[in-house]
Amino acid sequence: MSRTPVLSPVRTIFLILAAASVLLVSALRAAPAPSARQLVAEAALAEDAAKKRELIGRLMGQSDPAIAPLLEAWRTDALFVFTAPDGAKIPVQLTGEKDPAGTQAAARIDTGAPLADAAGQPLRLAASALAAVEHTSSLRRAMKAVLDLADLAAPAPAVRIKAILTIGLAQDAEKLPALVARLGVETDPGVIRALRESIAIARLKDADDAVKLTALGELRELNSLASTDFLTRALKEAETAEKPALVKAAKDALRAVEGHRSFVDFFGTLFRGVSLGSILLIAALGLAITFGLMRVINMAHGEMIAVGAYTTYLVQNIFGAGITIPFFGFSLPIFGLNLTGAAYQWYFIAALPLSFLAAALVGIGLERSVIRFLYRRPLESLLATWGVSLVMQQGLRLMFGANNVQVSSPVYLSGNWTVNDIIFGWNRVFVVGFAILIVFGMWLVLTKTPLGLLIRASMQNRTMASCMGVRTERVNMLTFGLGSGLAGLAGAFLSQIGNVGPSLGQGYIIDSFMVVVVGGVGSIGGTIISAFGIGGIDQVLQQYLPSIAPGLTWVPGIGSFLQNLAQDAAVFGKILVLAGIILFLQWRPAGLFVTRSRNLED
Amino acid sequence: MSTSLRSLLTAGALAASALASGVSAAETVKVGVLHSLSGTMAISETSLRDILLFTFDEINAKGGVLGKKIEPVVVDGASNWPLFAEKAKQLLEQDKVAVTFGCWTSVSRKSVLPVFEKNNGLLFYPVQYEGEEESQNVAYTAEAVNQQATPAVDYYLAEGKKKFYLLGSDYVYPQTTNLVLLEYLLSKGVKLENIGGGFRKDGSGKIISAGKYTPFGHTDYQQIVAEIKQFAASGDACVISTLNGDTNVPFFKEYAASGLTAETCPVVSFSISEDEFRGLPAKQLVGQLGCWTYFQSIDTPANKKFVADFQAWLKKSNVPGLVKEGRVTCSPMVLSYVGVYLWKAAVEKAGSFDVDKVRAAYKSGLSFDGPGGKVTTQKNMHVTKNVYIGETKADGQFKIVKSFNNVYGEPWLKGKFK
Repeated sequence: MSRTPVLSPVRTIFLILAAASVLLVSALRAAPAPSARQLVAEAALAEDAAKKRELIGRLMGQSDPAIAPLLEAWRTDALFVFTAPDGAKIPVQLTGEKDPAGTQAAARIDTGAPLADAAGQPLRLAASALAAVEHTSSLRRAMKAVLDLADLAAPAPAVRIKAILTIGLAQDAEKLPALVARLGVETDPGVIRALRESIAIARLKDADDAVKLTALGELRELNSLASTDFLTRALKEAETAEKPALVKAAKDALRAVEGHRSFVDFFGTLFRGVSLGSILLIAALGLAITFGLMRVINMAHGEMIAVGAYTTYLVQNIFGAGITIPFFGFSLPIFGLNLTGAAYQWYFIAALPLSFLAAALVGIGLERSVIRFLYRRPLESLLATWGVSLVMQQGLRLMFGANNVQVSSPVYLSGNWTVNDIIFGWNRVFVVGFAILIVFGMWLVLTKTPLGLLIRASMQNRTMASCMGVRTERVNMLTFGLGSGLAGLAGAFLSQIGNVGPSLGQGYIIDSFMVVVVGGVGSIGGTIISAFGIGGIDQVLQQYLPSIAPGLTWVPGIGSFLQNLAQDAAVFGKILVLAGIILFLQWRPAGLFVTRSRNLED
Repeated sequence: MSTSLRSLLTAGALAASALASGVSAAETVKVGVLHSLSGTMAISETSLRDILLFTFDEINAKGGVLGKKIEPVVVDGASNWPLFAEKAKQLLEQDKVAVTFGCWTSVSRKSVLPVFEKNNGLLFYPVQYEGEEESQNVAYTAEAVNQQATPAVDYYLAEGKKKFYLLGSDYVYPQTTNLVLLEYLLSKGVKLENIGGGFRKDGSGKIISAGKYTPFGHTDYQQIVAEIKQFAASGDACVISTLNGDTNVPFFKEYAASGLTAETCPVVSFSISEDEFRGLPAKQLVGQLGCWTYFQSIDTPANKKFVADFQAWLKKSNVPGLVKEGRVTCSPMVLSYVGVYLWKAAVEKAGSFDVDKVRAAYKSGLSFDGPGGKVTTQKNMHVTKNVYIGETKADGQFKIVKSFNNVYGEPWLKGKFK
């Protein structure tokens, strides 16, 4: 008969201790090296945001090639949490082709091995059934810091520059060697500049004064705008530490940066003025024909712009998924081509001629139905076209709704081109380029074609032209169509810059008349000069009014009022421009360029 | 015999039905709805009318308030501020409504305020506002500045932001909010030179306005974005935007074109909610922040039910002019919804529709579990509620990144942070 052994207390304690020590040893062995994959998996499951950031931070400097794709997947919502039947949460990534049920093969994040169920069979999962791992902007920044080091060797220079500046602006001394090492092998001049800038900014924190001095000199030489705040801080530190050499170097560097800033501001303002001028010009060019040449006070000009913008919107939808428009009680379905990718991006180019045509047709309809009866009665034409403009606005509202519609920017119009810290937005460059093209095209039409000859003849002296056998009725119609079409083209461009809504035209009608009147009614050249003049002056005032604001206090009584007004440069600048125009028209009521004709009516 | 019995029964049934219909006619309570259904504000305010009608139907289906069905009196303020006062007068003096739900802009609230105070009416106001007001005749379910603006700053500070650029449309809400924010930022140790947008001072040098302002309908943001770009060049910068309505489109288009992103310099907008994305391209704003006391994406059964019920109501409702497609829920809508339920709770606690009694009950601290979590009324006519910060997604919804629970609504903030 055997006895059941009874554990003595001593043995129990011994066993527990032994078990604990085994656990401890295994824990110690496991602790030093959690792989990059394990860290990411742990971070994905961590509840606390700070803990997540800390875990991601530990990836810094690790050379595991798995890191970049994993973090990239996380940032793009391609990292999922799979909840196993037993409740355990496992972070996974989906790989391979989707089968008809929408499922894909799943890989565990912590090991990279395929996800298997309890029986060891590989599991297939559908992305739609899983929760993507969350990420916040601070977490993305932490990931970015990790990726930045990896990005230092990225093939695209723009990616490298971004990574370099992120490290530099954080003044991260730990990563400095990585930057210095990169400087040795880098060949792209833009990247080299960013590297020198970042290294110098990071070195401003160095304990050694000599290093700081060289860094300050470097920043002075580079005219680094990004370093302004760091230089100001360095200057303050040097002043409190009473180190005259450093103070002088910091001051010199700041002066150089400020000089560079005024250079950037000046040319930036110039470009912004040209771009605003181009917008004004494009919006006003149609009016320069209908009002300038034909003398029709066309209050519906703004709605012609809106027609162009809505045509762009329609074309965008036709290239996309189609649209249904409620049309006086009927639903008008418009089928879409369902294009994607590059083909879809061409919608804007296709929209240009179409918006010209649509607005031109509407304009011709307006001319035939209303305006041709009112050619010699400007006041009546003003009232009638104003009525038409209200009707058209309401029509757009009925068809497209009172809300603004969304016109997306094609990729080739997003982004910018930065030269020497001056930013040239692609959409702006495009507008400037097209303004030039349109003006050139219009010049060709008016001076080099038979139609242009007829237009000029009819506009200069309608009766005489008609005596010579010109069908002035038809010329009037075509001229009004041309002017309206140009307004439609303007609408296509303005859809890339602002809102597209039923009252879009209202925002541009006053500016358009202003430009035409200042330029001199009837003078296309005057319209061009006045558009660029008004645009330029507006931007100059916006840029420089706040900086002259402190100088306005000397004005007795209203000094602080003026000073505050100058701070609101966007509004005050516009007020000054309008006031200037009123004064200018007192002096030259006919505008910049007076058109003289032999018409007895004038 | 049988005939007489039948006629007796018929007569009885008739009498009963007559009684019942007589009862139902008397057993309603008139409630005013005062929003702009035409004009510039109609786009936003019509949604509030819709949610209010939905809420009334929901309450009526469950028996109404104190056994009485809610009978809405809907009037149109037409985005015309003096007209708001006229319509309020009509609601209070002619229709004798028990309570009014309405107003969006601060100027409309200010213009109806004297009418409500003179007639001792009660207005429930649901849209985020600038504070500095505490009328006994207004129940502010709206976000006070410390339930939207200062939590957003707290979030930015926790994210390590050091430079703050203030930008807004030029009217009372942005101006007042930015002045409060200026004091708040200074109290948190942010240096004056790290607050961008410019300052306006009075004769004695005291700052009377902070930030950059543009008029409604402004389209040219080139200069301002260039300034922000330089402001953010040294890193750790962010933008606090109180830009209103469609001026956000040219601003964000310019912002994206200049190469600024949510990661280099995020923008938190206080006037963009889910409902605004019906007319705003969300793609341009991906990653930018919003801060409200409710997001449609809140993942709770209560909110899911609320959203589903509203969608179901939209389908079957026959309110004229109701937009049925692409509808979303947003914070002002939920605060309207919550307002109706808080009023109902106050009426039921008071056992009466009398404004003074309802107010006393409202002030005693009532709670309601709304779609955005629990809300509790306070003595100062405001409500305690949760505050959420969300990142914009490409579909015009928000991903919640931070929440603050039970934030007390405090209208008097100027001079509070030292």
